[in-house]
This record gives sequence, structure tokens and C-alpha cells, in this order.
Amino acid sequence: MNFNLLSTEIATALFGSVLLILSLVTGKDARRGLGHATLAGLLVLLLITFTQYGINSGGFSGTWILDDYAVFMKQVFIIAAILVVFAGKSYVEDFTGNCNEFYVLMVFALLGMMGMASAGDLITLYVSLETMTISFYILVAYNLTSGKSAEAGLKYLILGALSSAVILYGMSLVYGAAGTTLFAKMPPVSVASPVLLLGAVMLVAGFGFKIAAVPFHMWSPDIYEGAPTPVTAFLAVASKAAGFAAMLRVFLGGTPVAPDNWLGIIAVLAAITMIIGNLVAIPQTGIKRMLAYSSIAQAGYILVGLMAADPAGVNGVLFYSMIYAVANVGAFAVVIAVERATGSDEIAVFGGLWQRQPLLASVMTVCLLSLAGIPPMAGFVGKFLLFSAIMDQGIYWPAFIGFVMSMISVYYYLRVALVIWRDEPKDPAPIAVESGMRLAVMAALAVTVVLGVYPAVLSDLSLAAAKSFFGM
Amino acid sequence: MLKEYFGVLLFAGVAAIIPLAVFAVSYLLSTKKDTPEKGLAYECGMDTRGETWVQFKSGYFLYALIFVVFDVETVFLYPWAVKFGQLGLFAFVEMLIFIAILLIGYWYAWKEQVFRWK
Repeated sequence: MNFNLLSTEIATALFGSVLLILSLVTGKDARRGLGHATLAGLLVLLLITFTQYGINSGGFSGTWILDDYAVFMKQVFIIAAILVVFAGKSYVEDFTGNCNEFYVLMVFALLGMMGMASAGDLITLYVSLETMTISFYILVAYNLTSGKSAEAGLKYLILGALSSAVILYGMSLVYGAAGTTLFAKMPPVSVASPVLLLGAVMLVAGFGFKIAAVPFHMWSPDIYEGAPTPVTAFLAVASKAAGFAAMLRVFLGGTPVAPDNWLGIIAVLAAITMIIGNLVAIPQTGIKRMLAYSSIAQAGYILVGLMAADPAGVNGVLFYSMIYAVANVGAFAVVIAVERATGSDEIAVFGGLWQRQPLLASVMTVCLLSLAGIPPMAGFVGKFLLFSAIMDQGIYWPAFIGFVMSMISVYYYLRVALVIWRDEPKDPAPIAVESGMRLAVMAALAVTVVLGVYPAVLSDLSLAAAKSFFGM
Repeated sequence: MLKEYFGVLLFAGVAAIIPLAVFAVSYLLSTKKDTPEKGLAYECGMDTRGETWVQFKSGYFLYALIFVVFDVETVFLYPWAVKFGQLGLFAFVEMLIFIAILLIGYWYAWKEQVFRWK
């Protein structure tokens, strides 16, 4: 057994346990220290992942795959977690009662995501998925003083359990028809039986829930709105990326569905997700709900990359996941700061933000432009990679829908920017930005701008990762 | 190939008919007399007192949860103990890690005063 394949996960599990022990032995007044310890640990984990590039092998009877693809995805999760902790530290410290478990649960959620990226069979995948989801159930309901948070937690628990049940049923059908749980040994497409197809459809529905694709998206606006904002950021970014990481493994690692059917079902999902996500985002008045619908739409764009099902498409998915993670967490970081200062998450409270805190105003604008895919922000490059992958195969309509919907999305993204730069502030008092938050938003800003102008830094890495996924 | 699934359909059909038939037969044969006893939630066990829609103390669930954790631990410990001689040092260390993880959880529950009945 080659334990080097598991070194990131072992380190993460150890780190989570140590964090829990630390929270037990220190008093309740030592919370700040715990946040710093979490950051230090996450940075070490990020460094460890860099040593894992180029290993490209599987182990443990094929149930575990460590290729560059998995490593890249793990870095997306870790970077998202680092940014969320930086931006959310003070927000979490404001909670009444004990906030120690918050970091511990975040680390264990991270562990689950890592497992999802590396899973080589259905059982490893499911266990990892549940590790992540159960941590999130608690995190979403974490603000004990808020009824909305409790409601969101309960909704997420019930709907999440339902979607897990659908996934599990789908897995049992796939196993029954294929006779194996290993993705690599799934039968070739020519012998796909109806039972296998049914199982695959159930898997699509279950994962569709996790990535919040239409028509399985109903949960996300309510839960994003009710959850504590740092959790919303983590949920919208890392949990979604993990869902995609697992989806790619299941459907491209060993395609149980015939290509024609496959393309059809994913194409329809991608199209309606892009259309409905973007259209419903327009009338939203709450920033968290608006970002929830925007993240639904973003899932639609990423699904187009999945639809391409070739290295170029996977490259698009990987690149866009990273860009989306950074820009979305950047936007949510600003929401966290404004929410702490004003106690509201209405778009209207962003009025005149540039007078109150120019840094937050600029970061919000840049991140929203990146999400909208306006050059020269990184989001444009990401969308370019996603849509060019499918257009190279001679299929133009998904890209067409993507372009039109991106144009529509500019409207609601820029509406927030308009409020920020045009309106007069109701309360001209400047908003304080503490060091952690400053670091998080500046990092998001820098990455979004630099990768927009010079994407090769990341796209070389993601292309290598995408090739490793197909064993090239 | 699709023809093979006809068997499954037939099976599902028969499976659906059997419970319906049982209900139908018992409906036809049974005597219908309403007594207050029949209105109770169960025909056996203790009578309910007062409202049944009361809140349960969450302490019960916490106890049950800790119990289940160690219950499951036993499930893993038994086969491990039976094959201990052949498994060697690796399995021994592995089991120690497993128990250590559970003990951290137990410690956490202790600190959070799960075992204190308030």
C-alpha cells in the first residue's frame, strides 16, 4: 500500500483532529488563535498538494486515484477554504456561544471534498460525499441565534438526504448492472443496459442537486440566504466544485451512458440551467439570493465543459472552477464585510460603497465583472475555454446560449456595481476592513485581474491536469 | 435484450397484486366493529397520556448518538479480535487509530456536557 497517495488526506484528517483537540484544551476566549491555527494548517496543506503533482497513479485496488486532476481540484478546495477563513474570521467570531467547531467542521468538509476528487469507485465517492455534506448540514445551521439559519439547515438536511438517497439508489442500480463499483471497469458504452441508464440518470439528478443545476436548484437560494455568509461562500464554491469533480469522475472516468444519450441529458441540463439561473437572478433584491442564482447559472456554464467530454472541456472545467472560486469568494467577502457593518444583505445597502470603502467597492466590481465574463477579467478566459471546447466539436448552440445568457447576466451584475458607484450612501460612515479581510479581497482581486491578462500560468497547469484525467 | 426485462415487469406486477389481494381478502372477511381501543395509535403497549405531539428532550438523541458510535465500534472490534493473530501489527495500529478518533469524539462530547442531564 502506497500511503503517499493519501498524504494530503491523512494530513487533513490529522489537522482536523488536532484542531478539535486544540479547541477542547483551550478556553472559549482563545477563539482568535484557533482561526490563525486553521489558516496556518490550510497553508501547509496547500504546500503538501504541490508535492503531489506528477504522481498520476491509483492504488488500494483502484478505489483511489491520485492524478494531477485530483490534485488541481484539491487545490481549488483548499484555496477556497483559505480565502473563506481569511474573510470570515471576524464574522465567525461575532457568533454567540462556541464557534470552535466551525473551523473543525470546515476542515472535515474539506476532507470530504478531497475524497470526492480522488475517488476511484462508487463507495469511496459516496463516503466522501457524505463527509462533506454532513459537515455542511451543521455549518449551514451554525448561527444559533438566527431562525433563518436554523431553517436553512433543516431544509438542507432534508433535501440533502433526499438527494443522497437518489445518488445511492442510482449507485446500486449502476453496480447491479455493471457488476463493479470501480469507474475504470464500468462496461463499454455499447453494452449499456436500461438499468445502467436508469442508474446513470439518477446519478445525474443527485449530482445535479449538489451542483445546483436546474431543475434541482430549488434549495440553493433559500439555503444560501439563510446560512452564515462565510458558509454560503464555501458552499457555493467548494461544494459545487467538489460536485463537478465527482461528476467528471463518474461520467468521464468510466462512462456508463451511451455518448448520444449522455450528451443529450447534460446538454439539456446545461441549457436550462444557464437560462433559468440568469433570468431569475435579475429580479432579486437580496445580494445573497442574487449570487445564489448567479452561481446556479455558473454551474450551467461549467456543465458545457462537461458536455464536451474531452481534455479541452475538462481543462475548461478545471480552469473555470478555480476562477469562479476566487471571484465568487471575493464577492462574498465583500458581502460579509458590508453585512457586518450594516446588518443587512439587501443590494440597496451597497449604495455609495465607493465612498465608504473604495477597496471593497473595487473588489466587488471586479469580481462581478469576472463572473459576468467581461474581458480582461479571468472569467472571460474561463468561459472562452469552456465554450471553445464544445465549439471545436462542431456543436455551436450551447455556446450560443452561453453567450446570450452571459450578456443578460451583465445586466444584474452591473446593477450592483451601479448601486455601488452611483447611489449616495445612506450612512456615509466608512466601513472598517481588518487585515484578514483585506488580504482575502486583495488576493481575489489580484488573481482575477492577473489571470485575466496572463492566463497561461493557470491554464498550463489545468491543461496538464485535464490530460492526466484521460491518462495522456 | 429488452425482452429479458419482461420478467422484471411481470415480477413487479405480481408483487403489486399480492399486497392488494391481502388487503382485499382481509377487508372481505373481517368483521367491522369500531371500539375506542381501535382508535389508539397501537393496539398493544401502554395507552398514551395527554398530547402525543410533545417535544422530546434533545438529550435523548445525544445519548443515543454516542451509544450508536460505540455500538458500531464493537461491530468492527469483533472481527478484528477474532482474526487478530493473522492480521499482525498493521491492523493493531490501525485499530488503535480508529479507537483514538472515537475517543476524541467522546472527549468532545464530554466537554460539551452531553452527559450532564439538565
